[in-house]
Amino acid sequence: MTMNNSDMGKYAAGFGLSLVVTVLLNAVILVIKEISTPFMSAMKAALGHHWTTHGALLIIVFIVLGCLFSATRIEDKLDSGKLLKYTFWAVFISVVIIAGFFLPGLNVAATIKY
Amino acid sequence: MLHALFGILGILFAVALFVDVLNAHEGNYRRIKKLSSAVAILIVLAFLIGGYWYVAYYGADREIIKAGKWPWAHNYFMEVKEHIFFSLLLLSIYLPIAVHGVMPLNNTKKKNLILGICALIILLGLFMEGAGGIISKGVIMGLGR
Repeated sequence: MTMNNSDMGKYAAGFGLSLVVTVLLNAVILVIKEISTPFMSAMKAALGHHWTTHGALLIIVFIVLGCLFSATRIEDKLDSGKLLKYTFWAVFISVVIIAGFFLPGLNVAATIKY
Repeated sequence: MLHALFGILGILFAVALFVDVLNAHEGNYRRIKKLSSAVAILIVLAFLIGGYWYVAYYGADREIIKAGKWPWAHNYFMEVKEHIFFSLLLLSIYLPIAVHGVMPLNNTKKKNLILGICALIILLGLFMEGAGGIISKGVIMGLGR
């Protein structure tokens, strides 16, 4: 008989960890496709639009990692407090990377006609 | 536009869920589960409809915005919006999985997890709506109105 110290089910823990990884992966894919023309071209070629491929890739990774993590008794090592902390930081880091990456596009001053 | 409507409804349902979780007891567990599923369904609908519109029709609007007085409405807000949206989508899909996985909501840590996910969905959702407004205004500015 195995001990279960978790306060959540295996799918909540497995897909929770998958969420953390996938949210960070979102920002990584964005940076790579924006700085690498061949990668961007491959993403456009895959499903007709880079954004469609980006979204499909993230959803597939989320599901696959979620199933894998759920099968590894991750719920014994991860409680809901830790998961909330990881989720918050993953979203925060991802938002900072994405919002920061496009900051040069926010060139408001150059467009104001004096 | 329909995707904005589903997005707003998703945010409102997330607010309702947030309040329900704050006051969680056996009597509202069923409603908490239903609300979490509703948030996921509404945001997925916003993704499918908004995504189709973006891929099929946004190209023309993008050219108008970039040639107009507010090019940053696309260069910044659309670029940020279309990528941060994926975090909102994944959080929303995960929400019902988390709710079902932590039931019963009988301790603070479990409640905080659901409250935290709801708060992130609400904040990111509000950014989507605000950025959408700026992008729409960018088109109007580009048309010289």
